[in-house]
Amino acid sequence: MISNSDADLWQAETAMPRRLPRYLTVFRERRTWGELLYALLGLPLGLVGFVFTVVTLALSAGLLVTFVGLPLLALTGLVSRYGGSVLRRLANRLTSADVPAPEPFHGKPGVLGWISSCLSDGTAWRARLYLLVKFPLGIASTVTAFVFWFYGLMCVTYATWRPALGCNRTSDGKCHHAIGFTDSWQADTPFRIFLVTIGGIVITLAAPWAIRGVLWIDKFAQRLLLGPSPTNERVAQLERTRAVAVDDSAATLRRIERDLHDGAQAKLVALAMNVGLAKEKLAEGGDPAEASRLLDTAHVTAKEAIVELRDLARGIHPPVLDAGLDTALATLVAQGAVPVSLSARIDERPDPAIETMTYFCAAELLTNVAKHSGARQAWVDVRTHDGRLWLRVSDDGGGGARVGSGTGLAGLTDRVATVDGRLTVESPEGGPTAVTVDVPLHVSSHGGAV
Amino acid sequence: MRVVIAEDNAILRDGLVGLLTDRGHEVVAAVSDGDALRSAASALHPDVCVVDIRMPPSFTDEGLRAAIAMRRAQPEVGVLVFSQYVETRYASELLADSARGVGYLLKDRVADVREFVDALTRVAAGGTALDPEVVAQLLGRSRRDGLAELTPREREVLERMAEGLSNSGIAAALVVSERAVEKHVANIFLKLDLPPSETDNRRVLAVLRYLQG
Repeated sequence: MISNSDADLWQAETAMPRRLPRYLTVFRERRTWGELLYALLGLPLGLVGFVFTVVTLALSAGLLVTFVGLPLLALTGLVSRYGGSVLRRLANRLTSADVPAPEPFHGKPGVLGWISSCLSDGTAWRARLYLLVKFPLGIASTVTAFVFWFYGLMCVTYATWRPALGCNRTSDGKCHHAIGFTDSWQADTPFRIFLVTIGGIVITLAAPWAIRGVLWIDKFAQRLLLGPSPTNERVAQLERTRAVAVDDSAATLRRIERDLHDGAQAKLVALAMNVGLAKEKLAEGGDPAEASRLLDTAHVTAKEAIVELRDLARGIHPPVLDAGLDTALATLVAQGAVPVSLSARIDERPDPAIETMTYFCAAELLTNVAKHSGARQAWVDVRTHDGRLWLRVSDDGGGGARVGSGTGLAGLTDRVATVDGRLTVESPEGGPTAVTVDVPLHVSSHGGAV
Repeated sequence: MRVVIAEDNAILRDGLVGLLTDRGHEVVAAVSDGDALRSAASALHPDVCVVDIRMPPSFTDEGLRAAIAMRRAQPEVGVLVFSQYVETRYASELLADSARGVGYLLKDRVADVREFVDALTRVAAGGTALDPEVVAQLLGRSRRDGLAELTPREREVLERMAEGLSNSGIAAALVVSERAVEKHVANIFLKLDLPPSETDNRRVLAVLRYLQG
């Protein structure tokens, strides 16, 4: 998947006469300097957090016997929560760590309720833990940043400040205006000065990556301790996919109503109108030929209405699905414009909802193959394995299919996500294309989809 | 009778054109959206327009919007709104100003060709034609004021009035004498507190009273 902005950026870079290598462009990135600042702030911030946490925990523990202990523990928990949130936002701002916010604090009414909800707030306790962990992490980040940048830049500029060095007398009594790495290796010959400069350049170039590496651990800790708890993340995901499912079914109902209104319903009205006209013609003793013509029209309209209703009913739930997904898919691939070879191995029957979803996924993917790919052959492969159902639709067409490029793949992805399924697209430019849908066999809680 | 038809479904549009032409009426224009309807009505001055509520571009109620706008601009043109559903709100909006030359029928009614054409003729002549289904819904909704005091028979009469029938039409429909209908109507006016007046059409007021609940 390449988003538009990525593609633009990529084009802009290729358009330049010569592309700078990555190890140089990294210094142009805002993120690099943000990370340096964040790494340098690590030690002081970590120290403050650590001292605060240790002191308040000890103080609260000491005062537990009095009635001040628990309120103090509650209050400092809230402060830790706030501190964690500040650090999280700082990291997001400076290092693009992208740690999502935890669920907000909900205090129960009343002083006691408030205290108990503070004490049972998992986010506050996790924030405390982070503040403790942040101390060693902060030391590591600050030391790394300092060592790499300071030594790197000192070595790079060595040639300029070396003459100002005082006399460094070695054991043989000679005076060197130089840094001595060992007694015999004094960096004052041009070659050695050159080596030191090169070493400085290497260290400086490595600095952003070293910092990034150390901060990666910090980011990991933040995700674990400052982000939303796994349960809440799951709840958020379920809310998202539920919204998709609700919208989707509302849209389906609207489409069915529209199809009925414009199709079969209108045809039946026209049918009734023509039959009514014919009836009156005959009752008034009018021209029987005219009445017969009206009845002919009515007959055609009636047959069209029947076909339309049948298609609509099949679009809602294909009756052949009741015979099993493999049978339904066999019928489906037989109707396609592109030759399709089907391979199905379904050892365990999925839930009806999963069968229906998979069937419509296959139908839509095959429609895409016929409409967009220009393929001469397509393959549908469906199998069950380890409680999951895999559907793979592939073709030998032109490729280049992407989620969100008007092929309905984004809609399918959302729909599949409502049952904790995944849809993956492999479609390089020039083809071939393969779309894999992976869904659980059972969606009900008894099936243990979660 | 000169008619403009606004219906986006081609089968129905052609069917209506054929039906009305067959009955000796002149369909001066058959259009498929609200804007076209308004320009056709102002250019051609028809006696009556048959308007589908749901038309492009939004497929919600542009037919109704166009019909209401047209009634303001050309009150002399009758409007028969034609829909697959009964929506009380639509009926109330349509009848908000007056009940003169207004009709609201379910599309099914076209199956009884004669009744449909009669209703259209009535609307063209400034009368009212409300679908029994519309009336039933409006009646179900409004049970206030004097309406609650009406006897079942009077209610039936009022229902027919709302459909646009004259006293003799009501008498024929309910199989009673015209004299009896006149008595019922007088009672209705009394119970709905509609005194005789030179300026108001009590018949329309009575209908509106219960349509608006």
